[in-house]
Amino acid sequence: MPKTITDQNLRLLIDALVAEGKRVVGPRAAGTMTLYAPLAKGEELNLGELPRRSAKETFFPLCETILTYERDKEGVRVTDVDPGTIPGTVLVAARPCDVAAAPVLDSVFSWDFKDEFFLERRRKTTIIGLACTRADDACFCTAVGLSPNDTKGSDLFLTPLTDGGYRCDAITEKGEALLATHASLFAEGDGTPAPLAEPSLGKLDLDRIKAWLDTHFEDPLWGEIAERCAGCGACAFLCPACHCFDIVDEGGETKGTRRKSWDACGFGKFTNHASGHNPRDVQPQRYRNRIMHKFKYYVDKFDQRLCTGCGRCIRACPVGIDIAEILSAIGTRDQEPGTGKD
Amino acid sequence: MTNTAQTIDPALYAAVTDAIRAEAKKVLEAGAAAAVVGWQAGRRQGTAMPAIITDPAKVAELIFSPACVNNLALYLSKAKKEIRARGRIAIVVKGCDLKALVGLMGENQLKREDLHVIGVVCAGVQRAGAAKDIPLSEETIAGKCRECTVHTPEGADVTVGTLPDLPHFTPVESEELSRLEAMTPAQRWSFWKEHFARCIRCYACRQVCPFCYCEQCLCDRNRPQAVETTPRPAGNMAWHIVRAMHLAGRCAGCAECERVCPMDIPLNLLNRKMAKELKELYGHEAGFEVKEKGPLAQYREDDDQSFIK
Amino acid sequence: MCDHSKNIYLPQLATIAEIVDETADIRTFRLVFQDEAVRDNFSFRAGQFAEYSAFGAGEATFCIASAPTRQGYIECCFRAVGRVTEALRSLEVGDAIGVRGPYGNSFPIEEFFGKNLVFVAGGIALPPLRTLIWQCLDWREKFGDITIVYGARTEGDLVYKRELKEWEQRGDVRLVKTVDPGGNSPDWDGKVGFVPTILEEAAPSADNTIALVCGPPIMIKFTLPVLEKLGFADSAIYTTLENRMKCGLGKCGRCNVGNVYVCKDGPVFTAAQVKAMPQEF
Repeated sequence: MPKTITDQNLRLLIDALVAEGKRVVGPRAAGTMTLYAPLAKGEELNLGELPRRSAKETFFPLCETILTYERDKEGVRVTDVDPGTIPGTVLVAARPCDVAAAPVLDSVFSWDFKDEFFLERRRKTTIIGLACTRADDACFCTAVGLSPNDTKGSDLFLTPLTDGGYRCDAITEKGEALLATHASLFAEGDGTPAPLAEPSLGKLDLDRIKAWLDTHFEDPLWGEIAERCAGCGACAFLCPACHCFDIVDEGGETKGTRRKSWDACGFGKFTNHASGHNPRDVQPQRYRNRIMHKFKYYVDKFDQRLCTGCGRCIRACPVGIDIAEILSAIGTRDQEPGTGKD
Repeated sequence: MTNTAQTIDPALYAAVTDAIRAEAKKVLEAGAAAAVVGWQAGRRQGTAMPAIITDPAKVAELIFSPACVNNLALYLSKAKKEIRARGRIAIVVKGCDLKALVGLMGENQLKREDLHVIGVVCAGVQRAGAAKDIPLSEETIAGKCRECTVHTPEGADVTVGTLPDLPHFTPVESEELSRLEAMTPAQRWSFWKEHFARCIRCYACRQVCPFCYCEQCLCDRNRPQAVETTPRPAGNMAWHIVRAMHLAGRCAGCAECERVCPMDIPLNLLNRKMAKELKELYGHEAGFEVKEKGPLAQYREDDDQSFIK
Repeated sequence: MCDHSKNIYLPQLATIAEIVDETADIRTFRLVFQDEAVRDNFSFRAGQFAEYSAFGAGEATFCIASAPTRQGYIECCFRAVGRVTEALRSLEVGDAIGVRGPYGNSFPIEEFFGKNLVFVAGGIALPPLRTLIWQCLDWREKFGDITIVYGARTEGDLVYKRELKEWEQRGDVRLVKTVDPGGNSPDWDGKVGFVPTILEEAAPSADNTIALVCGPPIMIKFTLPVLEKLGFADSAIYTTLENRMKCGLGKCGRCNVGNVYVCKDGPVFTAAQVKAMPQEF
């Protein structure tokens, strides 16, 4: 039985969750932009625009401490950071393109070795997704097989209604539980969903794109599209699915902190060996890795794609590189194998 | 020049587009340039991006519009050496972009004779995030264009376009700088601290800057580690101070750093403040003549020493 | 430190028990885990690697160079070329470093039982094979002929000099050592010439034989055709790859060669596997 919630009650729900001691994260105005950020009260929820950065930082923060160390005459002491201390979280009003990335990232953070920093946050977070009613010309979720009301990754899903408020569907047990504990804020019933966003780019043939990538590691395309690439990390850092990171020690000889922080395969030094040798020495090789990782390597490894069509990389690229355009171009390319190897 | 209309007549951009294409065709066909670095339209309506054209049959891809924000001098810096390796390059520049070329020549990064400079008369470009494909207005024009003094580039091999009458725009950059200067040092410190705290260290500012061409950026160096690499307040502050100091006297104010910052940090405000200080202290302005060394890269006996205490 | 930490990035502390200067800039550490339970239970297979921390500088990736058959300690061997390796080099006997591992795949030693083995190594790339060499020598009766072809630029650049002597003196190993032309002193008792040439001269039989090759890319490039000429199939040739790594756990996205993660799918590959990879290493 579907339920509905008014906008006012959605904000009261946030207040109630905060009062319970939960960390509540949702779109919040932050100066000139909107960001997914901790909400102190429901009033702070700002649904006007797509947050500038994706929701991935709810699980995979820009920078986090993985240990601290101290060294003195007695020796070295290492202090562990227990991922178990991560607080219970509710991610509220997250866009389908952001939410869909979370289960995709589960694969890399859990194959074989378990990154509990990520996984514990995933376990302890309930995600309330929100259907999208407005797209801009960079949005392309439909092109990569998602949709503005895709519930992938959501525990609870809100659909805006024409006369205000939201229809609310429990997708998982976690979602059911949240509904049950705050039943008084929801009403029984349905409603007329507001028209969904309509991203302009049509559905891409992702299998055909994958087949081309399988045989075109060497191709003039990489030079053509990446010659203009400036080699910054804006695309990767705004992406909901990019997961590369660095591990660094910061501090001194006697004490300091080891941190894990976002990194980007577009950076020139990303793969540089200490000897000076660099397997991905020029920008086209690095850009190729970006596309290959998202649409081939991750598919080969985990049968999923590292792109949800949120369009952030397109909006943020300083030099106008448009991944949706590149994918469209690849989709129409001749499938004859290139000169390189698979 | 003022006009009573509130917007800039788009006819200028169309005329300049035609002239760029004609010039590009001419130099490529004559072999006077191996490639033309210009702008082309993006997939999305009203967007543009850098283009590197080598085939005379493809010059029709070149455009000029208020979306042509990129400073293409980036593609001639050492950071993009594979482009220079093609031979003599023709480059399309706005007045503000040309200042970067002049600076790069001064730093012996470029030789004038290796370039064919196609100057375009520019009435302005869009601010980041502005609605696309509508005539430039108070609402949509970039901050740097409102007080532009280089609508017509000087010293190009060919300059195309005729500047129309321009509306009066609010000088937001001057106002912003005045507000900054009115602050106490403590207020200014907290102003910048707050802005830099948002930095995510994507280095978009560095990567689009024509002057950030160091093969080994101080911030990528780890023996010793001069600047912490994680996006935390101390390292962010250090990085932005390094950036500002390294650009002082060199930055010609194209404002690309500020335009591309995904976290909306007003980086060009800092650059402009530094430029103003250098003008007041040393009478130096970057980007107008080919000079080997700016004031912060040389020592003179008569330099002001009063700050040493 | 918590014994049952959920933190996969947490290293174990190990004390430097012994330092050997192999060459002017290559050093071996013998490491003993501080935690007794870790010391007793740490097990690995030849070919696996670890992440070694110099606290304050970070982590560096090297193979575990000692043999799995030698318990109670592990050894690593590194050249001081970067921030972490230089910090490691500044440490002394008794100092502590961090060790995470073992990671990656390993040489399928069980498949080598009953076969002849030819080890081919150049310069600092002997350690990834030395772990296997010692394991094979410790289990000598399980293998046929063992040939080791090892070379470096100069005599001074040869690592494990004491062990080379030991291998030479054992009757059950054929050691062919060489230095590049000009790299020898008047009393050098080995060969003079590049590894691929000397390998061709030594001409080990490919019959029922596995080749294990480790060295700089240029050496590998010229060694593979020689092995082919000698009759080795690509599936009978093993090598190890190295790439820049941070996590060593298949997460950080740095070490991939195409869709192959060196840290998880490697570092040990057959020549057939390497030839199928895109040229990106």
